[in-house]
Amino acid sequence: MKKNIFEDFDGYNDIVEEIEHSRKYGINYSAERHSPAQFINRLHPPILNLRVSDIIEETYSTKTLRLIPDDGYLPPFLAGQYVALFLDMGGIRTSRPYSISSPPNQTGFYDITVRRVDGGLVSNYLLDEVSKGDRLQGSGPAGNFYYNPLFHDKNMVCLAGGSGITPFMSIVHEIADCGIDRTVFLLHGNKNLDDVIFHEKFKAISDRFENIRYIPVIEEPPNDYDGSRGLITGDLIKEKIGNLEDKTFYLCGPQGMYDFCIPELVRLGIPHKKIRKEIYGAPVNICDDPGWPENIKAETVFKVSINGGGTLDARAGEPLIMALEKRGVTVPSLCRSGECSMCRIRIISGKVFQPKGVPVRKSDRQFGYVHSCVSYPLDDLEIAL
Amino acid sequence: MEGYDVVVIGAGNGGITASAAMAQKGLNILLLERHNIPGGCATSFCRGRFEFEVALHQLSGMGTVKKPGPLRMMLGSLGVLDDLEFVEMSELYSVMMPDGFKLSLKPDKEKVIKELQDRFPHEKKAIEKFFDLSYKYANDMLAAFIFKDPSPSREKYPTMYEYAFKPASEVLDSLISDPLLKAVLSVYWGYVGLPPNRLAFPYLAMIFFTYIEFKPFHIKGGSQALSNVIVNKFISQGGSVRFNCGAKEIKVENGKVTGVVTDDEEFIPARFVVSNASQVSTYVQLIDPQHVPNQVNREMRGRSLSPSAFSMFVGFDCEPDELGITEATTFLLDNIDFSDRVINQMKKLDIDDQLLVLSCYDVSDPEFSPPGTSQANIVTLKYGEPWLSIPPTQYHKTKFRCAEEMLRRVEAIYPAVRGHIEEIDVATPLTHMRYLGHPNGAIYGFEQYTKDSMFFQPGRYSPIEGLYFASGWTGDCGFHPTLQAGLSAAKSIVRKLETE
Repeated sequence: MKKNIFEDFDGYNDIVEEIEHSRKYGINYSAERHSPAQFINRLHPPILNLRVSDIIEETYSTKTLRLIPDDGYLPPFLAGQYVALFLDMGGIRTSRPYSISSPPNQTGFYDITVRRVDGGLVSNYLLDEVSKGDRLQGSGPAGNFYYNPLFHDKNMVCLAGGSGITPFMSIVHEIADCGIDRTVFLLHGNKNLDDVIFHEKFKAISDRFENIRYIPVIEEPPNDYDGSRGLITGDLIKEKIGNLEDKTFYLCGPQGMYDFCIPELVRLGIPHKKIRKEIYGAPVNICDDPGWPENIKAETVFKVSINGGGTLDARAGEPLIMALEKRGVTVPSLCRSGECSMCRIRIISGKVFQPKGVPVRKSDRQFGYVHSCVSYPLDDLEIAL
Repeated sequence: MEGYDVVVIGAGNGGITASAAMAQKGLNILLLERHNIPGGCATSFCRGRFEFEVALHQLSGMGTVKKPGPLRMMLGSLGVLDDLEFVEMSELYSVMMPDGFKLSLKPDKEKVIKELQDRFPHEKKAIEKFFDLSYKYANDMLAAFIFKDPSPSREKYPTMYEYAFKPASEVLDSLISDPLLKAVLSVYWGYVGLPPNRLAFPYLAMIFFTYIEFKPFHIKGGSQALSNVIVNKFISQGGSVRFNCGAKEIKVENGKVTGVVTDDEEFIPARFVVSNASQVSTYVQLIDPQHVPNQVNREMRGRSLSPSAFSMFVGFDCEPDELGITEATTFLLDNIDFSDRVINQMKKLDIDDQLLVLSCYDVSDPEFSPPGTSQANIVTLKYGEPWLSIPPTQYHKTKFRCAEEMLRRVEAIYPAVRGHIEEIDVATPLTHMRYLGHPNGAIYGFEQYTKDSMFFQPGRYSPIEGLYFASGWTGDCGFHPTLQAGLSAAKSIVRKLETE
């Protein structure tokens, strides 16, 4: 056999010797089966097998499901993060994200707090069909809505709308339980006083802890109500928190609340980077979006063909992912709000509506990839999963 | 659908170019990817207003339209050049130290030499010698290996014969006495993962040569654009890709590949498999041990895992110049001792005075981030091992602690950064492990000692018939080499089929 030229390079023999030594004393990789997954799953398990250990009635519309692990281990999370629940409901496999409302220092269970939504497929299922002892599947904790010590202020101003209060329960509880050096101003907006989630619990915590201020804001309170009324306006925020400097603002609630509160904060001169907004699911009524084409009604039905194979019907007003799930086509999903990109699919032909500001990668846009949880058919579509 | 000719496992750089090149030749290819996007390292992710680049610092080997480099020619052969826009970076790199030292090099041989000679007048001759030697080495290499001289000899290529296996530090020490100059000249070791006393001189020589001759580049839309464009080309040529679907097992019978079992338990028969997964997981996790020849374990045994990385992705609410960031690639240097001390630091969790590299793509491409904003990708190399033993409950705390240390280092050079942070995300070695599936999150595969170069290792070949590799695990790392690895694997398979 012809000699390789590098065998004549200076130092060749030394390297050959080096290789022999290293092969004698090196690492036996074949003895380390499954190692990457084993470490990663402690932090980011693809699936968590959970059991409902308790159901706690919070208000007439809301319950907390206490979830314990079936195998005794729950991964850690940052207060404010969510888990997705994967559910099989009458043949439809779907998922929904829920903020963990229990604090991270409570390592034995995750609480999720669910409010009834009119026509809410999943919330009603969780409230009416699930009982103590039932098994549920969840994702590992995820999400980017948490206190980041690298650049957030130690003074947190938390603005919650209705059931958007749930991540703040985790945040406030952790601060109180662990004696964390942070101050929270929690403004919780609700329509009625009788359906304020965690009202008594927050009152009790703020009574005991000087660094926790709880300010419920009721839109339509009883006449004799002596707390804050109306909406969470800039003026109210300023009145309640005083100095606006050195504070980071955290918002969690429905789109309508963001549309109202963010301009209020901007009017107060709060810089963009100090306003942190949690994702909150797909818009309830996409046809109200300012960019929605007038000529298309929510009920309009389009044909969607998948991978050049089967065809299904999809309503314009319903996220594409739901139409797929209802016909038994499962697309992986996590945040269901357009952020995590798990449900990325490709539109080969036809048009979809995507609300403004959905974070889709530039080159994904170029090649027709969309996040199917916030994409609505405006045309007959051909898609690839 | 009739069966596939080849199943490609992993849509990283090597996987996608292998797939696209084979589809171009009319083969029926199935590309499997565990994640929902293609690219492996060559990806991006969105946070708030920002789309953060994950891995690409400076694309090498591109060259200009007039003077195309090997990568440009390769992308041209795949037919993807028209879909991509490249941005030439105007600096080779700059080096900054907290004491105010700053040096910036242009990708031009004469200018690099002049700039260094102005700053280190006492080393005038040495600087010239260093670059002369690097260029001589590179030219020998090209003539002997790229242009495949049929009768190479020591007389024709004396530099190559003498220097191919020499450590970089030995060459630097023999020419240069100023330790700061040595440090400034060897910061690119960070792109390979071995400090200069362990790094072979050829790496340093070739890096300088290729970046100066073919210029450093970036891509509009980041490395994700490259990955998407190549996959799109693959699909348009009839290729099939399944996202969210990894490989569970490569089936082997009588020493031959017979197919792949996917994560959802589907068996896909195929005579050829290209693995873009790590060589370790391919042989240890994907193939039944009884089918793995002893030779394979023996060869792997001699190799060690490269470092992983600790990275920070920062979005700022201002333009880069407001932060004092004026170069696209800056090495933040706090200590000029590049001996084994560096290895010891990489083995610790905490970040003290290690070498950091800060890339700010907005400097060369003002459209990279939204108007009025910018982003920086800050990286330091860390071995994955210490991260494996952190209790999960301490993980977030440790991650933030190390990120704080890194941020302080950056603040020491650019004091305004903290006040302009709008988004920040941190990737630890465990994050790299999670997204790449590499043992210990090793970003450069096996360590790239001379003994581990392609001269001495099996490269893309396997003793299992029908199995080929295309990744940084079987050769050099970095974008150009891994993209090339895919083409080489494709070529081997196509050639094999043609000879039948």
